Amino acid sequence: MISLSGLTKEFPGGVRAVDSLDLEIGDGEFFALLGPSGCGKTTLLRSIAGLETPTSGKIRISGNDVTALPPGRRNVAMVFQDYALFPHMDVTSNIAYPLRIKKVSRSRREARAAETASRLSLSELLARRPGQLSGGQQQRVALARAIASHPQVFLFDEPLSNLDARLRLEARTFLKRLQRELAVTTVFVTHDQGEALALADRIAVMNAGRIMQVGTPSEVFHRPIGTFVAGFIGSTPMNLLPASAEGGRLHVAGAVLPLPGDIADGPLVYGLRPEYADLSQSAPTGRRDVFSGKVAVVENLGAAHLVTLDSGDLLIQVVVPEGDEPAVGAPAWAVPRTGRALLYRDDRLLTVA
Amino acid sequence: MTRGEPEESAETRRPKRDEGRHRRVEPPAGRAGGTAMTRHVLGTIGRATFLAVVLGFFSLPLLWLASAPFDAHPSITTSLPEFTFGNFRSLLDNPYVVSSLRNSLLQAAGSAVLVVVLAALAAYALSRVRVPGRDALLYVLLLLSSVVTGTAAMVPLFELATRLNLIDTHLGVVLTLSGGLLPAAIFILKDFMDGTPTSYEESARVFGASPLQILRHIVIPLVRPGLATIAVWAVANVWGSFLQPFILLRDPDKAPGAVILYTLYTEGGAPRLDLISTFSLLYSLPVVVMYVFVSRRYGFRFHGGIKR
Repeated sequence: MISLSGLTKEFPGGVRAVDSLDLEIGDGEFFALLGPSGCGKTTLLRSIAGLETPTSGKIRISGNDVTALPPGRRNVAMVFQDYALFPHMDVTSNIAYPLRIKKVSRSRREARAAETASRLSLSELLARRPGQLSGGQQQRVALARAIASHPQVFLFDEPLSNLDARLRLEARTFLKRLQRELAVTTVFVTHDQGEALALADRIAVMNAGRIMQVGTPSEVFHRPIGTFVAGFIGSTPMNLLPASAEGGRLHVAGAVLPLPGDIADGPLVYGLRPEYADLSQSAPTGRRDVFSGKVAVVENLGAAHLVTLDSGDLLIQVVVPEGDEPAVGAPAWAVPRTGRALLYRDDRLLTVA
Repeated sequence: MTRGEPEESAETRRPKRDEGRHRRVEPPAGRAGGTAMTRHVLGTIGRATFLAVVLGFFSLPLLWLASAPFDAHPSITTSLPEFTFGNFRSLLDNPYVVSSLRNSLLQAAGSAVLVVVLAALAAYALSRVRVPGRDALLYVLLLLSSVVTGTAAMVPLFELATRLNLIDTHLGVVLTLSGGLLPAAIFILKDFMDGTPTSYEESARVFGASPLQILRHIVIPLVRPGLATIAVWAVANVWGSFLQPFILLRDPDKAPGAVILYTLYTEGGAPRLDLISTFSLLYSLPVVVMYVFVSRRYGFRFHGGIKR
């Protein structure tokens, strides 16, 4: 278990990369640190590794305070974004390097390297140098080297970002299975929300050195607690529209919707994922709970299309199944599904509409 | 590729312009092309002649070095030798020649080891640790070491060596020469160190490697070509140094080759060209061999890295 309390890292020059942060990561958990670039996620990971010294706060691993320990004594293994395979050593020596440091005899460490390599189907490549390997093979060697050190915690810095798009999906599945098999607590950093949702047991969404929300992929996807998380999670960005509550009704972009629960009158933000609205190409008669507009852009997503409606001064995006896409310039109506929209006031989630 | 493209487009543009001119006057189409051709040929001949003259200017002294040692009566001009090995025999009769080669080797190797070890440690530290004013320090050191040359600093150096009892010792020569070479060596090696990504070292650190282990296992193998460059450069520099050993060493038994070369004169003060040329050849061979060996070994080798 990793527990961080009041962790702060301030760089010379006054930049607070991590700002008094508390976090608990459970044993065997696959945990994602997700956020835009510069949000402090990598600094946080490097602080856990011991490569950065926190300005204040405590880091505990399995109950032991490791804040002041050097990286080598924390029993963690890190896989770097560029994999950091030693270019002058062959695959065997790379995988066996942690054991060389632990003064394991040459024959024992070569046996362990071969064993770890066969597990990651690297047996054919043991005599090669990193420069002679493909990106995916390099990543597996880096993972093998981390596994060979038998750590309590794995730390992955952007594990998939150096792979090309096709390989990335394969590697993602592989990584998830590997983590399940090893059952070692794993923390990884990513800026790709899809990667975090697909891989992690739990996700911490970070922004400007702070954690915005911690939750399971389903929680951060369906119940983002603030508009930042709402806008950041999801492969198509959520529609966040200014709204207002007046006399038990919700007014959004020309539509009038029923207002759930007891929400006081006043301004709100109405959040609706493009996947949770249906597009109608004929005017629904007698209904006021629809958004009307003109089709401005149609983007092909493969099996679906992302349609952008121009509704006065607001843009509303809707995902439309294959074959139902409207012509650009045609009038269209977006019908929100009930129970799927999120209402925010003062950047806090109030309820679901 | 990128160089070829503009040329090509100039080529394709030129005939068009010519066409426009020719349409009005209608001269035979070949003439404009013919003069351009002549100009091209003359230009090539001129360039080749110039290069040949320059090449001759620089290669004649080398030819002299190759022929004079085997000539029974060498002069200061290059000529076909009256072939003999006698010069080598009479050179070896000089009691100081062999010992001077040994001294040169000792001083060069000592300085190279000292320079490589100290420069590697200093460059690594300077490359990895944030020191305020680091770049300014490096530039000032480099500037001082090239402006205040050994010649200009000879009096204080001599004074210092005297007080430290380093006069007439190999150590004195090694320290003095190494001091002069270190700033440039640190500067060059720091560039090599800057070129190796820190993630290699961080990765080793997370696995528990100590700073010295990181240096030994990771950094030194990665910058080995740089270290080889510095070693060769230091050896070549010390090998050719004359002034410092000439002043710091009194005992001719300790003098290196460059100083002994200076003593190969007759009692009347006339240069013994047979001995000087022979010794010059003998003295330059080790450095040439070293260059060839090191560039074979380290010249064009790269460890494939990761696309960045």
